[in-house]
Amino acid sequence: MGVPARPRTRNERAGADRTAIDTGILTNVGFYVYVSIVFALLALGFNLQWGYTGLFNAGIAGFFLIGAYTTAIAITPPTPPSIGYPGHLGGFSLPLWLAAILSMAAAGSVAALVALPTVRLRADYLAIATLAFAEVLRVVAINWESVTAGTIGIFPIPQPVEFNPPSAFLNAMVKVAIGAGVLLILLVVLLFMTESPWGRVLRAVREDEEATMALGKNTFLYKLQAFAIGGALMGLAGWLFTITINYIEPSGSFAPAITFSVWVMVIVGGAGNLRGAIVGAFAIYGLEWLSVQLKDYAPRELKDTIFYIRLMIVGTLLIVLIIYRPEGILREKKRILR
Amino acid sequence: MQYTLAGFRLSSIVIVAAIGLTVIYGIRGFANFAYGDLMTLGAYVALFVNMNMALSLVWGAIVSFVVLALVGILLEVLIFARLEGRGPVPPIVASVGVGLIVQNGIRAVATTQQWIFRVPFIPEIPIVPGLGFHWIRDLGTVAVGLAFMISVHILLTYTNLGKAMRATADNLELAKATGIDTKLVTYAAWAVSCSFASTAGVLLGLIGVVSPVIGFNVLLLVFAAVIVGGIGSPYGAVLGGLVIGLSQEMSVPLLLGLGASSAYKVAIPFIVMIAVLILRPWGIAGRPPPFARRVFFIEKILDAIGGRPGAAQDAERESGG
Repeated sequence: MGVPARPRTRNERAGADRTAIDTGILTNVGFYVYVSIVFALLALGFNLQWGYTGLFNAGIAGFFLIGAYTTAIAITPPTPPSIGYPGHLGGFSLPLWLAAILSMAAAGSVAALVALPTVRLRADYLAIATLAFAEVLRVVAINWESVTAGTIGIFPIPQPVEFNPPSAFLNAMVKVAIGAGVLLILLVVLLFMTESPWGRVLRAVREDEEATMALGKNTFLYKLQAFAIGGALMGLAGWLFTITINYIEPSGSFAPAITFSVWVMVIVGGAGNLRGAIVGAFAIYGLEWLSVQLKDYAPRELKDTIFYIRLMIVGTLLIVLIIYRPEGILREKKRILR
Repeated sequence: MQYTLAGFRLSSIVIVAAIGLTVIYGIRGFANFAYGDLMTLGAYVALFVNMNMALSLVWGAIVSFVVLALVGILLEVLIFARLEGRGPVPPIVASVGVGLIVQNGIRAVATTQQWIFRVPFIPEIPIVPGLGFHWIRDLGTVAVGLAFMISVHILLTYTNLGKAMRATADNLELAKATGIDTKLVTYAAWAVSCSFASTAGVLLGLIGVVSPVIGFNVLLLVFAAVIVGGIGSPYGAVLGGLVIGLSQEMSVPLLLGLGASSAYKVAIPFIVMIAVLILRPWGIAGRPPPFARRVFFIEKILDAIGGRPGAAQDAERESGG
């Protein structure tokens, strides 16, 4: 489905680092690592919203989309419309770090706006409302051609560092380094945030909102903050996705399937646990990446169906885990009051 | 005019699906995200009967009705009964899992190809230039929609099972206490819900093509209809389905008039839904909870930005306490 799993077609369509196709296993593993980090960022954002605060967001793909498009529009050089390409809003050629801030700000503020009316809703209403929001955004991205270039998508997006001569391997390593750096910084920040009194209130809201309110906490404001910060993290994931994949298009990459994958990651890893989200992201995306790798070795009759079988496995995993081990692989630390 | 026609056509499908979805929502208390894919499954079962057994689509629809009812009971026994009493989120997650399995199972078995039901060809009857009337596509869907609405009304009002279903949806514990076999009622609800899904799926395939995502594509519309109408109320679902279907199709001339692409029409139902969620979260026909405050969130915003008179004092008091 829409998960960015097929570097081959992507690269072929984008015309970007074509050499990446056959440059050995390390480049490929690098691809696995940085896409996993993109998912890890999404999972961390969702974990903050659901794992810590109990806000069940089904519009992850929407915030991801905002971050990705903000970045794509900010960092691309001018692309005049040409035959077969309508062009898109852009040409700002902004530096990457500024695009990261812009993406987080855009996704975060939209998340806050979405949260204003919806965050007080029951979990199932919230899920439907956010899913609808994400789908509307995707429709807009498909149809607002003057800004997003429609279904054709935005490309080429420059590599983080241009090597001369072009080297897919070095590019992949740079992306891994950027991703790992961002992930590390975020982990430290999030660790402080979730262990702080602020994080404690979030968990209290999740466990018993009324009791927290009775303690004099403005639970609405806390929920709003958690949702907005989670949204900003998803925006950052969109930034990383755009600068690493170098090609974005609305139909596949931001489909609801992305949201569902992130749910699986957080549930597998363990909700309310930072490491869990990351472990889950690497594990579940690993499944997808492996299915791509194994495609060539698969028996002929399985070749076309292996993607679908993978998603069926993901679905089965969801059901089995939610029934038998809802706390995930790494369960949340029990905090006992003394 | 043709938009009204399209609106009624879409409405009747959404209504059939929304009734099915709301029945299970009311009794089991969770949003079934697999519902769209169950609709697709219904369409494919009918397709299989239609193509491979060379029977008419009516038989296909009947077979698929029965098969899906069994699938629904199976889902309850295997999965959802184990998640009872765990809040709304775990069943949602499980239903997404079911949806993934069904949708991709269909892709794996029947490929992603698009199919068309084998039905007798009936030419459109032109009414005015540019507007055709199609017996099956237009009258058929609306008639089936009406028939289902009436049958649900009869089921809920005049049969013991229907009364038991309403009682269970209203208050599970109380229903149990009065000696209703709630387990049986739940199975019945799943059967009704999923068989309605199958018919909605067949209708969807009838007005377009059969593909692995037809159900999922309208899932959000169905949810919107359920929410607009009020969760758990079949009559609300009818009303919500009408509002949603008509608002989507009839917004087209308005959008074109504004110079926007008609592709944005799919966003309109969600705007309606968000508005309903803000102003009347329990839906048009639903019953408000005892302590509902309609403008709750507006007050909260004003509090947050300190705009409401007295908010500052409130905040002071809060921080002091």
